[in-house]
Amino acid sequence: MNIFSSFRDLLSTRHEVAKNWKAKGKHVIGWSCTYTPEELIHAADALPVMVFGSLESTKLADVHLPINVCSFSRSCFNSALKGDYDYLDGFVTSSSCDNRNKIFDMWRYYVRIPYLHFINTPRSTTELAHDFFYAEISRFKTSLEEICRKTISTAALNRAIQVYNDNRLLLKRVYDLRKMQPPLISGVEALEIVLSSMVTLKEKHNDLLNRLLAEIPNRVNPPKRGVRLLVSGSVMDNTELLKIVESVGGSVVADDWCTGSRYFWNLVDSGSDPLVAIARRYLGKIPSSFMLEQKERFGHTIKIAKQRDVEAAIIFVLKFCDTHMFDAPQLMEVLKDIGLPVLCLEWEHSLSGMAQVKTRIEAFIEMVSGVE
Amino acid sequence: MTELKLERRLQATRGFYRNFVKEFYRDAHKAKAEGTPVAWVASTFPVEILLAMDVFPVWPENYASLCAAKRVSVKLCELAESKGFSKDICSYAKCVVGSLFERGDLPERGMPKPDFLVASTCACDTHFKWFQFISRHLKVPLFLLDVPYNILGADSEHLERTHIEFYISQLEELIDSLEKQTNVVLERDKLREKIMLSDRTSQLWEEIQKYRKTTPTPMDARDAFSAVFFMLSIPGTQMAVNFYEKLCNEVKERAENKFGVIENEIYRLVWDNLPPWFDLRFFNYLNSLGAVVVAETFSHVWTGRLDPSKPLESLAKKYLSNFANCSIDRKINLIQNLVEEFEVDGIILPTNWGCRMMSIGETIVKETVYNKLGVPSLILDIDSSDWRSYNETQVKKNVEIFLQVLSGKKQGG
Ligand code: SF4
Ligand code: SF4
Repeated sequence: MNIFSSFRDLLSTRHEVAKNWKAKGKHVIGWSCTYTPEELIHAADALPVMVFGSLESTKLADVHLPINVCSFSRSCFNSALKGDYDYLDGFVTSSSCDNRNKIFDMWRYYVRIPYLHFINTPRSTTELAHDFFYAEISRFKTSLEEICRKTISTAALNRAIQVYNDNRLLLKRVYDLRKMQPPLISGVEALEIVLSSMVTLKEKHNDLLNRLLAEIPNRVNPPKRGVRLLVSGSVMDNTELLKIVESVGGSVVADDWCTGSRYFWNLVDSGSDPLVAIARRYLGKIPSSFMLEQKERFGHTIKIAKQRDVEAAIIFVLKFCDTHMFDAPQLMEVLKDIGLPVLCLEWEHSLSGMAQVKTRIEAFIEMVSGVE
Repeated sequence: MTELKLERRLQATRGFYRNFVKEFYRDAHKAKAEGTPVAWVASTFPVEILLAMDVFPVWPENYASLCAAKRVSVKLCELAESKGFSKDICSYAKCVVGSLFERGDLPERGMPKPDFLVASTCACDTHFKWFQFISRHLKVPLFLLDVPYNILGADSEHLERTHIEFYISQLEELIDSLEKQTNVVLERDKLREKIMLSDRTSQLWEEIQKYRKTTPTPMDARDAFSAVFFMLSIPGTQMAVNFYEKLCNEVKERAENKFGVIENEIYRLVWDNLPPWFDLRFFNYLNSLGAVVVAETFSHVWTGRLDPSKPLESLAKKYLSNFANCSIDRKINLIQNLVEEFEVDGIILPTNWGCRMMSIGETIVKETVYNKLGVPSLILDIDSSDWRSYNETQVKKNVEIFLQVLSGKKQGG
């Protein structure tokens, strides 16, 4: 079977798929932060796609940005300057961190794009914050309706919620395949699946997920047994690092990052007013590190580490991502408190200096396996 | 390099560290010993509220700059790094985190231990992430204000109503929490009084800036970066008002007598962001080349006129419009105004290694201001408090080349 390559294909052909969608006279809206309520875009009959970076050099962006900037945001901006995202009808971001806020200025000044929208996401989750966020989401809805020249009906929102919730539940079931020993799917495969869901029409992704779940019990070549690892970080939009980890004896069975569990863990409450429910789901989801609820964030990390019997953790700190740089030493302490060996690694989105990173991961995994 | 002649330095700021800063920390320790609640405050938090509740506010960012001036900041940064903090985080934060672990002597005996912490999400992520750590480490509560980002770059008169309302309601909740924390009820009369004093402080500070428009300018960045201390740390106090009255009189007199910072003023500059606190003589070096900083963006964003009849709303407007919380447009507008009003020849745009807010967007400022007003900018890579990668020779060389460009422009007309 090669259901896995289908997910990989979705990733590698994502620009073409989006262009084909557009050729049908429909809109494609890029988003960059997992606090963007995709359901609204879906309900406007537009295709929401997450804007990823690439592994290419960022020389176009480097003209405008100093060195000390989040290399993920830099890479996304570079791809936009290069024209990789010329098909976008719009780009939406959210006030989720300094890097993102300030680089949004770069998009405004240098990227030619018909529509830019900024969602002011609170960092807190009090009732006041929920009210504020609801108003922001309503504003986003109105502006999408203008751009897509389409009214977003309650029925369409409910349908979107259904499809998105299905996707989340299916992804959770896929993640559960890693509870097994050895896991039924690898960390690299899991990452490809989540990443592909971020750039694919959810109905289509759900079909593939259903196929995967039906076929997987008969998998003939499950991944090798390895040291069960939790990985933590901000975003991971390519699989290179996990490939390294899994090539030297690691087995990634749990994650805590925006392109993983934090993306799909929480459902939208489908019983209530759809717009209210969507707003509540996004603001109240497992917090990223730019949210004020540090305890809840660490709580989630610990919970999944325990649920999935991990033996060690690797914290991947993307260079110049402030909120994670601050969290890293504290998360390390919290994870050590529950008895896990922890490796904390700084990395560059461009993957420069990977040889050294590989050596450190290798030594760490050896050390952990030696302890057993 | 010729040092600035002593008689040209301002009287009011003479011995600033010895006369005011040291005394401030002495008072802080004394207050703590006497049982007054001490709060550590991140800038852009409405400190006027704390003053009205008789809480003693101590300001870690200032403490970090002080450590830089005393040249101990690098040692403290290294200490923080040894505890697992990245080299790339804001050096203010590293310095203060390091001071929590330092066992030896600290300048001014360190900051008195806080009873609680207050910060806001305005300005930068660093503030609240850094304070979260302090809160965990010292086991003291942290109170946070969640401030919407001013994406339109609106000034205090054009803010979105929803932002103002969100800010005010949070401030009300926060006041409740602080009352519980301190067992002090915030008296509205007292708040009004502090608001009045804070407004007076801003007004005086703005007046001082106005006199700096004179050619030759009577006051330089070196004095401004010292004197702004009161504006930032204790704006709602009589002490601040007294200090600025004195400073204002002196600057005014100098402006009237055309008594400048330097005798032969050739280049008038605007300075963005922070100075290298570890080397404030950098401004004297500029002076020795005939250049003088007539305005800092820093001196123009922390003021905010307040209306005592609407204390919370005025505070909301003051802090929501702080340019650290705004898209780059606000900074561009400000710099363009300064260039025109202060007859500026060039702009210095220092970045700050650990600060995204001060590093991203300087290219946009440079391009936009040049295209619109023909005034060139120089982007300088420095850091506020960590001099380990500060390349003084290179920085000075860049400055000299920049001044030559300005000189060429002046001659070419
Ligand atoms: S990786 Fe970190 S710094 Fe970069 S956009 Fe995400 S949260 Fe912001
Ligand atoms: S220097 Fe920048 S990062 Fe550091 S506290 Fe100030 S605004 Fe925040």
